[in-house]
Amino acid sequence: MKDTIDKIRSMFDGGDADEKREDLVFVTVPATQVVDCLGYLRDRAGYRHLVMISAVDYIERGVFQLTYLLHSYEKQNDIGIRADIGRDDASMDSIHRLWAAAQVYQRELREMFGIDFPGSPRVDEPMLLEGWEGIPPMRRDFDTKKYSEETFFPREGRKTADPATHMAEKNYASEEQVKRSVKDLVRGRRKRKGNDG
Amino acid sequence: MKLRDIISPFYAWKRAFEKPFTIMRPRTDREGAPAYRGFHINDLGKCVGCGTCEAICQNAAIDMVELPGQETKRGDSGLRPSIDYGRCCWCALCVDVCPTASLGMSNEYNWISDDGEDWVFVPGGDQKPWDMSEKGYRTTDESWLIEPVRASMRFVEPDVRKKNFDEMMLGYTTEAALEEAARCIECGLCIEACPTHMDVPQYIKAIRDGELEEGLRILYDTNPFSESCGRVCTAHCETACPVGAQGRPLAIRWLKRYITDNTLDIRDSILETEDIPATGKKVAIIGAGPAGLTAGFYLAHYGHEVRVFEQQDKPGGMLLSGIPEYRLPDEVLAREIKVIEDAGVEIKTGVRVGKDISARQILDDYDAVFVSVGAQIGTDMPVEGSDLPAVHIGLDFLDRISKGERPDIGKKTIVVGGGNTAMDVARSALRLGSEVEVVYRRSRKEMPANAEEVEEAMEEGVEFNFLTTPEKMTEQGGRLHLTCRRMRLGEPDSSGRRRPEAIEGSEFTIEADTCVMAIGQKVEDEVAREAGIKLDKWGNFEADQERMTTSIDGVFAGGDCETGPDDAVGAIGTGKKAAWSINEYLSGR
Repeated sequence: MKDTIDKIRSMFDGGDADEKREDLVFVTVPATQVVDCLGYLRDRAGYRHLVMISAVDYIERGVFQLTYLLHSYEKQNDIGIRADIGRDDASMDSIHRLWAAAQVYQRELREMFGIDFPGSPRVDEPMLLEGWEGIPPMRRDFDTKKYSEETFFPREGRKTADPATHMAEKNYASEEQVKRSVKDLVRGRRKRKGNDG
Repeated sequence: MKLRDIISPFYAWKRAFEKPFTIMRPRTDREGAPAYRGFHINDLGKCVGCGTCEAICQNAAIDMVELPGQETKRGDSGLRPSIDYGRCCWCALCVDVCPTASLGMSNEYNWISDDGEDWVFVPGGDQKPWDMSEKGYRTTDESWLIEPVRASMRFVEPDVRKKNFDEMMLGYTTEAALEEAARCIECGLCIEACPTHMDVPQYIKAIRDGELEEGLRILYDTNPFSESCGRVCTAHCETACPVGAQGRPLAIRWLKRYITDNTLDIRDSILETEDIPATGKKVAIIGAGPAGLTAGFYLAHYGHEVRVFEQQDKPGGMLLSGIPEYRLPDEVLAREIKVIEDAGVEIKTGVRVGKDISARQILDDYDAVFVSVGAQIGTDMPVEGSDLPAVHIGLDFLDRISKGERPDIGKKTIVVGGGNTAMDVARSALRLGSEVEVVYRRSRKEMPANAEEVEEAMEEGVEFNFLTTPEKMTEQGGRLHLTCRRMRLGEPDSSGRRRPEAIEGSEFTIEADTCVMAIGQKVEDEVAREAGIKLDKWGNFEADQERMTTSIDGVFAGGDCETGPDDAVGAIGTGKKAAWSINEYLSGR
């Protein structure tokens, strides 16, 4: 595997190898090199099986990290090719001509992350989310809690308590009253001044 | 039609007598994978009801509910998570965020009930077959969303700091404060633990949001001594912090200090107390310690005229005289007290009630009186030789040092006691250039001093002689000879600590130049006697726990003189309560 990694690094501007296990190594290459690199790995290095394609939303860095996981039956090991693409108008070269099965993953990434793969067959057809509106649900800026609150109706009879409030009621109700009253006093003075000014 | 088309349907019959591929009834269920995320399990003994699971649940599937048998106590809200399986998506975020690691998931996924209400239950509370399951999903170090390690504080190395009285903790940098603030899970269990119930999660959030001015306002809502507390508070909140269950609790004290350290320039401007309408009522406060000054600060906000009488030349009480400068520099305390004075509190120092002005006089001249004289008298041990000149009382010793004296205590000092005062004395004596040995009659585990104090003392080279008590002190050839006896721990006493018992024939002698007794404090009863205020059987002022009222109408008491020797934040809590109660009294309620 080491030779292959060295090749990827020299031929496709690959970065440092991230060795997770003896038989599982990840290398990051520029997005523009991904198709060439995967073609090389499939035809020259024996990594004929596409295990999967996945994405991670690194919203802090403003990128999606794509991972193409390949397997070699001869060498009994896996290489993951990673590439960062911009989050805005995210788009990536399709690899359905290398592996026809890739179109399914690409369709899924289109649906869940909004990453486009121009030319990939049926890429705009939904797999799960028929009639979905709004941003794709696997993006980090998708507010899952808000969505579930709006979408699913609440069950009747459920009630909850805030731990801090509950403790105040149970253990120091009178002191809590003093605290609120003093706090209002201190804050109220300031507010009055502010309004006057 | 071909013959084959007619015969081929019968071809299937050739398997008629083989073992079928279908599964026989009764069906055997397949067990979930070992790390399967099935129904939740919760160790109710470990769970502290912090509600972080509820907060993180993206489907609002979790409620915090009361459960019979779960008590609301220090560090435990008594609530427990109830899960609505109509909403749970089995993502396990609740497991990964649980600070106590009480919440897990079994690998059970087969369960049938026709009643929809059965699908809402409290794991661990409503018994289920999978409660004892060892298998299923548990969080790992890698997947745990809690950061168990504290952001580090800058401090002076022990070898350097033990040579002077300069402050040893240097405060958080902004980077470290943000890192530490990010560890907070905002459960609020700390609020109950704080005697003055500071809004800890709120001011930590203010740090995260970079809103230090709002942070400072939150501090002043409940505590006018936040800068001092940020350095020397006993931090009951940190004991209650659930993050401490599996890691180090939030450094709440240091975060509070970060706010005050970085808002010095706006401190004067956030409290706008100039235009408070005066009520015309006059309140006298006896003793300018944390209790008295806190009461004064809030009473001034109500618009009452407040005058504080202090027998010492400087205000501050135990914060000034009882806590050495390497923990709390004088200028920190001074600028906090200045804010209190700016709020309209008049402090008259060098006035001893009972000598310079009579208690009677004060009672006559003022509409209400708050007594907060503290527990200023250090107690000594009734052992032979405790009146020798080389034997000192801990509080007096600390008081002299706080006034700038640097007494010559010789090469070797013995400190008797295991409380925070003993640690302060020991570390002060070290800074005066003496070797120090602490003698304590119980073991390290029973020491009332904060663990941090003991650790720091040990780092600086203070020696400890546990399970030892002095029996006799004599002076021989200019040196002090302490005859000590070894102790062993017997049955627990009323305080829950194991009672020390002397071991016969275990006497031995330690030689030293100085001995300091730091074994207790009691209340000066002069004011009480003169004004006729009732004391309890321990000699403390007797006061109502809700209103802080004493046996005399219009006289209130709080702080150490009412609770007995306690910490600063306890005094601040009662001071605040007293201010409210005095205002109620003056308003005729």
